[in-house]
Amino acid sequence: MKKIFLFLFILSILLPDYVCSDEKTLKSLEAIEKKYAGLRDYTADVHVHFDIETFKTPDMEAKLYFKIPDKLKIESKKIFFFPKEGGFFNPAFFKKEDYESRSVEEAATNRKELKLRIVPKKKDLMGREFILVIDRDENLIREVHLSQVGGRETRAEIEYMKYDSFDLPKRIVLNLDIPSVEPNESIGFGPPEQKPKRITGRIEITYSNYKINTGLKDDLFKTR
Amino acid sequence: MKLFWFETYKTFSRWRTYIGFIAIGVVVVVSEVVMKLSATEISSRMMKIFQKDFLISGNVLNGWFVTAFIMNTLHIHIPFLIALVAGDMVSGEATTGTVRFLLIRPPSRTRILIAKYLTALFYTAGVVLFFAGVCIVLGLILFGQGDLVVHHYGKFGIVLIPEAEIPVRMFLAFCAAFWSMTVVASLAFLFSTLAENSIGPIIGTMAVVIIFLVFSNLPLDFFRNLSPYLFTHYMGLWQRFFDQPIPWKEIVRSILLLGIHHIFLFSMALIIYRRKDIKS
Repeated sequence: MKKIFLFLFILSILLPDYVCSDEKTLKSLEAIEKKYAGLRDYTADVHVHFDIETFKTPDMEAKLYFKIPDKLKIESKKIFFFPKEGGFFNPAFFKKEDYESRSVEEAATNRKELKLRIVPKKKDLMGREFILVIDRDENLIREVHLSQVGGRETRAEIEYMKYDSFDLPKRIVLNLDIPSVEPNESIGFGPPEQKPKRITGRIEITYSNYKINTGLKDDLFKTR
Repeated sequence: MKLFWFETYKTFSRWRTYIGFIAIGVVVVVSEVVMKLSATEISSRMMKIFQKDFLISGNVLNGWFVTAFIMNTLHIHIPFLIALVAGDMVSGEATTGTVRFLLIRPPSRTRILIAKYLTALFYTAGVVLFFAGVCIVLGLILFGQGDLVVHHYGKFGIVLIPEAEIPVRMFLAFCAAFWSMTVVASLAFLFSTLAENSIGPIIGTMAVVIIFLVFSNLPLDFFRNLSPYLFTHYMGLWQRFFDQPIPWKEIVRSILLLGIHHIFLFSMALIIYRRKDIKS
């Protein structure tokens, strides 16, 4: 009996906070959703600079097409590598109903920022955990930390500029920290290495020449 | 020079000389046609490690990539094709019974040997040039142009070489491939001065190349330490021209080491042949 009371007592302490944190999360994500409700598609020129030891490439340029909810197309005459996670702005990606809140805290910065820890409900995004740093004044996602199963860590820092009436990324800096060898890739039968080396580095993506809501057709995104 | 052209004419008059060119033609044409037919599969397999993290656009599987890809097989079949001719250069004369006839002519043994050696190198250059020509021309026709992505399978890393830089790098890579293949020619030539028939030098050369390649690739510390002392270790010299930045210091060192091999092997051949008692 004592144990049950103790359990109920702990629950009564934790539950309001949990409900409160969930509400805060929902409100923050909802505010962003509302802010970008009018954004249906955009086109932009992207410039990518790799600063990764194992990625020896010159800067790359391409045209990016995006359409709500998640259609993306890259057009480039040359070979182009574009980061899938965090490399582009999708206002519909963090929909409140698609995520579960894990924790909410005030970010330790001068701005009025909130740090949300959320996990996706969708099956195809399982095994990931996001930490979003949200600017509550501007309703903008300033940072996205992504942790994935297998020890993959990505942190995206986003700088915005106003294009028409929308705040859209001017520059995204992706910080990568990923294992060098895929878990299912063979590494031969040589002498055991001390520890698998990790690959760290930065990818800087600069956006320019935005064209917003031009009515991009679905056909444009069909892969030939 | 006259002797050299005479030897070259003799070499290219033999049907055996063209086996190498036919073999290269078959290997390259069949490989590139099959690659063209299974282009999607190849692209997705080679880019598998990046597809999780990146959207990749552009013509990755282009003619330059295909050429570099096929060049990886260079150390497997080209040494055999070179040994086939270089191993026959001197011993072939003994087999056909023309060696005494050859040596009673005014030119000295040294001049005759130099002419034969230059012919072996000329043939090696011809084989590598033909290999390069077929690979590049057919590759560009079937797969088109584009930047070159150099990727070591299973590793999260690439070197991307802009299209404008590729022809020069490719030229240097094939020059490096020629330089490393001439060591095989020198070795076959040395063996050819030792033997009275052509089979021994050809098989002997291939045996040395295979043994050295196996030793160079065994993943054990002993063989890893031994590897830099084997000339096969430097046969991948051409790959350095697709690094970013090009490791010139390492390239020059490899070129010099291979050059020392040439000098040593040819000097040995010369010493042996000048002292050789010709009985056939």
